[in-house]
Amino acid sequence: MKKYFDPKHSLNFLFLLFSFTGCVNLKTVGEFAGISMVSIKNFEHIEYSFYQHCVDRCRDEAIRKYEIKRAEECICTLYQEADSVTQVIYNSIEGYFEGLGNLSQNELTDYSSDALISALSAKELGPMRIEEQTVAAFSSLSNTLLRATTNSYRRKKLASYIEEANEPMRVLLGKFKLIVGTNLKGELRFKKERLYARYMDMKMNNTLHSDYEKGEATSDYYQALDKIQRKEMVLEVFAKSLDEIAQGHQILYDNRNKLSVKILKGILQGYSSNVKDLISEFNKLNN
Amino acid sequence: MANLNSDQAKQLSDNFYLLGVAIGDFRYHNWGRLAYEENKELSATQYSFLKYGEDILALATTLVMDEVIDSMEKINTITIEINGTIRTLTNIQKGLDLAAAVLILGVAIMNRDTKGIGNSIKGVYETWKGPIT
Repeated sequence: MKKYFDPKHSLNFLFLLFSFTGCVNLKTVGEFAGISMVSIKNFEHIEYSFYQHCVDRCRDEAIRKYEIKRAEECICTLYQEADSVTQVIYNSIEGYFEGLGNLSQNELTDYSSDALISALSAKELGPMRIEEQTVAAFSSLSNTLLRATTNSYRRKKLASYIEEANEPMRVLLGKFKLIVGTNLKGELRFKKERLYARYMDMKMNNTLHSDYEKGEATSDYYQALDKIQRKEMVLEVFAKSLDEIAQGHQILYDNRNKLSVKILKGILQGYSSNVKDLISEFNKLNN
Repeated sequence: MANLNSDQAKQLSDNFYLLGVAIGDFRYHNWGRLAYEENKELSATQYSFLKYGEDILALATTLVMDEVIDSMEKINTITIEINGTIRTLTNIQKGLDLAAAVLILGVAIMNRDTKGIGNSIKGVYETWKGPIT
């Protein structure tokens, strides 16, 4: 019997078997969830909000009307509500991807049976002695089996969560994109128009006399315009990344029952790479 | 009457924006022909249109809430389930550590080692109470 049972070879075989069926796909899902989360978290670095827009408008109006008051009067309740809605949607999306990322992390099931092994080989066991080699074999085998079982469990769970989440996630990402890329960015269109009207009124009223004043005013106008346009680009890039994330999640959904297929890695890497590029573009614009 | 949805609100906002721009262009093209009061009144209307447009855009955002409430509840439930699964998986390590502690306690009992039993019970208790790694 001893001839046919070689613990070392058995362990190697098990290890190979579970490596092929487990690790790659979890890593791919984990990477995609991770990069998606980094991208989504960029929302916190957007230095613009509905409330900020409202405050800026009050300031612009005070300047236009040359109103000097002891305290600025600015009612922005509606804008604060808009920010709250955006924040709630953001929290839901971010929470989901964080969970997805954590569930697919290998560290999560990197169990150690060291304590058990130490207990087995402890001197306190008294006259009973277990050979060191046997303890080592037990250690490797138990760790491999634990990981394999739990990896399989995680894959099943991930597939089920991705399936349930795809439709609501598509809706949430779509609306989040609409809020940031259309509504918040749309507010900036009004800001640009008010800026244009203010400088045009200044010009038509012949308020400025010297060439120097006119030059300064023109320069100020274009600098202010640049600043707004840069903000618009930041919002646009962020909105684009939400699209890529939604498409990536759709790929996960389409392949949810074959999460171990290598092709998934290739397809998903394309979306991960696009999201990475957009993160980089976002950071460049936001600095 | 049906409630306004976020897309309709966005459309309204676009209309106000275009009206604001049109009045501005009209003022600048006819600057010399407009009386001071007329120009002032048109300017006030222009800024009002822009303000309405901005406000409706913020309103459109608040309306999104009604449209995503179901999706958000679903995602939040799924996230809670995912975190529950993660907790189950992290508990496995604690279970392994506890099994080791109990094994030592069992040996101490078998050997009738009173000091060992005391230490082992302490070990089991600390492992049980310890944080989930």
